[in-house]
Amino acid sequence: MIRFGLCRIIIHSLILMIIGMPALWADDHPLALQIDELIAAKSDGQQPAPCSDDAEFLRRICLDLSGRIPTTDETRRFLDNPALDKRAEMIDQLLAAPTYAQRMQELFHVVLMERRGDNEKWSNYLRTAFEQNKHWDQIVRELLFPDAEDESRRGAGFFYSKRLEAYGQNPTDYPGLTRDVGRLFLGADLQCAQCHNHLFIDDYKQHDFQGLYSVYLNLSINSGLEFPAVTEKPMQKKLEFVSVFDATQRETGPRIPFASEFAIPEQSKEGPAVSVLARLADEFPTQGNSIFAKNIANRLWFVMMGRGLVHPLDLHHSGNPPSHPELLDLLASEFAAHQYDIKWMLRELALTQTYQCSSRFPVTLADTADAATEVSTTQISPESYVLFNEKRMLAEQLLHSTLQATGNLDRLQQPAADGKPNPELVDLTAKYVAAFANEAREPEDQINPTVKGALFTLNDETLLQLLSRQPGNLIDRLMTMTDEQLLAEELYLSIFTRKPTDVERTELFAWLAQNGDGREKAIRLLAWSMLTSMEFVVNH
Amino acid sequence: MGTNMSQRQLCKPWEHRYSRRQLLGTMAAGGLGLRSFLQPSVADELAKNDKQVLLIWLDGGMSQLESWDPKPNTEFGGPFRAIPTSVPGINVCELLQHTAKQMHHLAVLRSVCTQDNSHSAGVARINRGDPKNRGVEYPFLGSAVAKLLGPTSSGMPPYVWIKPYSGGFKASDAGFLGAKYGALALGDGKPPDNLLLNKSISAEENELRNELRQKFDERYAVGRRKEWTEANSYVYELAKKLMDRGDLFDESSFTDKDRERYGTHELGRHLLLARRTLETGVRFVKVNSYHWDSHGDNFNACDSLIRQFDQPFAALIEDLHDRSMLNNVLVIVMSEFGRTPKINSHVGRDHWPEAWSIAMAGAGIKRGVVVGKTNDQGTFVDGQPHDIGDLFHTWFKAMGVPQELMQYDNHGQPLPVAHDDCSPISELLA
Repeated sequence: MIRFGLCRIIIHSLILMIIGMPALWADDHPLALQIDELIAAKSDGQQPAPCSDDAEFLRRICLDLSGRIPTTDETRRFLDNPALDKRAEMIDQLLAAPTYAQRMQELFHVVLMERRGDNEKWSNYLRTAFEQNKHWDQIVRELLFPDAEDESRRGAGFFYSKRLEAYGQNPTDYPGLTRDVGRLFLGADLQCAQCHNHLFIDDYKQHDFQGLYSVYLNLSINSGLEFPAVTEKPMQKKLEFVSVFDATQRETGPRIPFASEFAIPEQSKEGPAVSVLARLADEFPTQGNSIFAKNIANRLWFVMMGRGLVHPLDLHHSGNPPSHPELLDLLASEFAAHQYDIKWMLRELALTQTYQCSSRFPVTLADTADAATEVSTTQISPESYVLFNEKRMLAEQLLHSTLQATGNLDRLQQPAADGKPNPELVDLTAKYVAAFANEAREPEDQINPTVKGALFTLNDETLLQLLSRQPGNLIDRLMTMTDEQLLAEELYLSIFTRKPTDVERTELFAWLAQNGDGREKAIRLLAWSMLTSMEFVVNH
Repeated sequence: MGTNMSQRQLCKPWEHRYSRRQLLGTMAAGGLGLRSFLQPSVADELAKNDKQVLLIWLDGGMSQLESWDPKPNTEFGGPFRAIPTSVPGINVCELLQHTAKQMHHLAVLRSVCTQDNSHSAGVARINRGDPKNRGVEYPFLGSAVAKLLGPTSSGMPPYVWIKPYSGGFKASDAGFLGAKYGALALGDGKPPDNLLLNKSISAEENELRNELRQKFDERYAVGRRKEWTEANSYVYELAKKLMDRGDLFDESSFTDKDRERYGTHELGRHLLLARRTLETGVRFVKVNSYHWDSHGDNFNACDSLIRQFDQPFAALIEDLHDRSMLNNVLVIVMSEFGRTPKINSHVGRDHWPEAWSIAMAGAGIKRGVVVGKTNDQGTFVDGQPHDIGDLFHTWFKAMGVPQELMQYDNHGQPLPVAHDDCSPISELLA
């Protein structure tokens, strides 16, 4: 626990140094420190895992903020850097790097579209939004009202237009769109409230669903433009609805769920139509909408910590309270007070000791097979945050990390002669999504090994080709190394972002010695095993 | 794939390479299986349970009047006759002419009374056995059995779904149990992608790389939560089993006689594949057939559809019996509801959950019986109605699911496996 204590002191003194705070007093606590205190207060005496070591931290933060594992050079530099504040420095560096916008584009694409499909204008929109560090309220305003006149919003229309497309035998799924807006922006799955007040979630009323639904019933795809867009018919009258439980006729005008109804705007004969959608977009993502704030605070917490304070992420209601209510309130209000600046929020979360704690309890390394030396993890709940929650990697993170580890990333990121993305990369991306993503419309919120993924890693030709020797790639580098100590380090740093233990070195040397005549094959088999193992395929 | 079979009878090259295995160390030997998910005593008990299930799902709703519960010469009876079966006193619709000869193996429940008459609600409710709403999405029967009984000793994936259209890995049946308990779907009976060992890897190398991966995983798990590593090991084990049994998908290996008996139409081919899938030891096989929703022209539709079911179903029951598998395999035939006695203006029958029939056979089920009845018009159940929850209890009991497993643990939330207010139908149980 000495390591843990020391680490905590270091992290927190760094936070203080960075923020330039001379001393601690309650009102001026940095957020990161307050978060850690609130987590510690509910740990029920469970000793937390120690602070992550530098390699563990670096791999985690790179995956979270740049969407891929670090290069061996980046890792070596970081491990050798003696500076006390190198973690905070790394966080800032990653947030400032161009890879940040790409990672956020991939992350928010999956969160917002749930693998329904992609669109170039949409990815450009998301990429640009994160390059400019558009704040969350602004992004949501643009998604909710993708004004075709406004060039900076083009592409945002994909959020609606894709959902308005028929799929299979389903006609336009207006209830589905209504449900998703509630789920993704308010953390409330109102599906059951479509036909009646929710049976066992008292907070979800039928008029919350119907009020939002009334707005979307006027929406249709505008396919006449070269970017995804929708057309809104002026709303004429209130929407009538009946609960399936009692036959009483009710009606509602447009309504943001959990807020009051607003009037249907008067349409004048001259001038452009008055958009209900525009009003919705203005009034929905406000600083005062605490439900909106809690949803996104909880979702960003989930991205970093691997478990929502409210979980599942789209079931915020009084019957499913947050594991740490004060913490969620704090995060939501601080986030709103910082105008929903996602970059600021991610930085604060990354600085916490909660984020930087290890996913592993220490064991006697000399005898790892002896279970008696292990702390039992079975009773440690994911919402205690005393042991870092291992996180699923998106198919995109896994692909970029695999390319990085095998020394193929630079080559594949070179665009083709016509300026388009490298076709091999496009092909691999599609394959990775097919093998590792969930089916469309299913949130990807937990680690999910599948037989499909296993068969892909076992037998897919393009994947196995990454491990064939090509100039400058991992296998090539390893094959040219005669010093086996260096080879062992290069292999482990490339794939696991850490140096091998003594036991692992000994094993590797024996493996190579046994396969003297088939060295390349032996290295490839070993690298494959590492790339498909848990240590590589999850963010831990 | 024809060569796989002969190769399998030979020694594997790696069986002679003990020295390499030794290098891999003791950690690679044991392997984590499904066993580690369960308490040891329950796991031991389950290891002895070799019960399997075949669920034939006729999507859209099969007409009970043109199949299991004919009412000839009545107002709603329709044009078809009832014929005697191999069990004196039990008649079925003439469209089940082959099945009638197997009636002594079957049990039919004619008093099914469920609630939902829309497809969207009915499919989910019947497949989940209508548990009480507890705010979680319950698994479909196949995922439930995959969870409760796991793979058989064959190690094959516990839940295989043979269906028209697309294949892949369908997680949606698993509900709150998690994707791991979803179905391996063989779209149009075709094998999953990437099933064949990549040609650049020898069988020996494949074995070695898997052992190495397993070793890395076990080392990774030390000091960490175990569940994800166990799940990872589990899917690689299943992948290996599937790759080893690639012959499962070799349609050319069926005999002409089999093809003739089952028929070359879709459901015929799929039920023949289901027989082989059961033979390889898959715990739960689901076969879907679509387009049973005969709102218009019901009688011509049934004349085609029910015959498409009848021929391969009768052949399958006969084969399972001949192979002494019927003691171990529970066979279930159902839809989301039956069809209205009333014939609509399109000469069709609409959705009718009020009074319909479900047929079953095999493991733990009484042979040659009809349980429950409908009134003379076939409009409602006459006597005790049975909801789907009763059937789920019946089937879990027939499968020998031990009492201590009749409750799920959803991250600390205890959830009954089947509806608490329902119970097994003893007249159906052997």
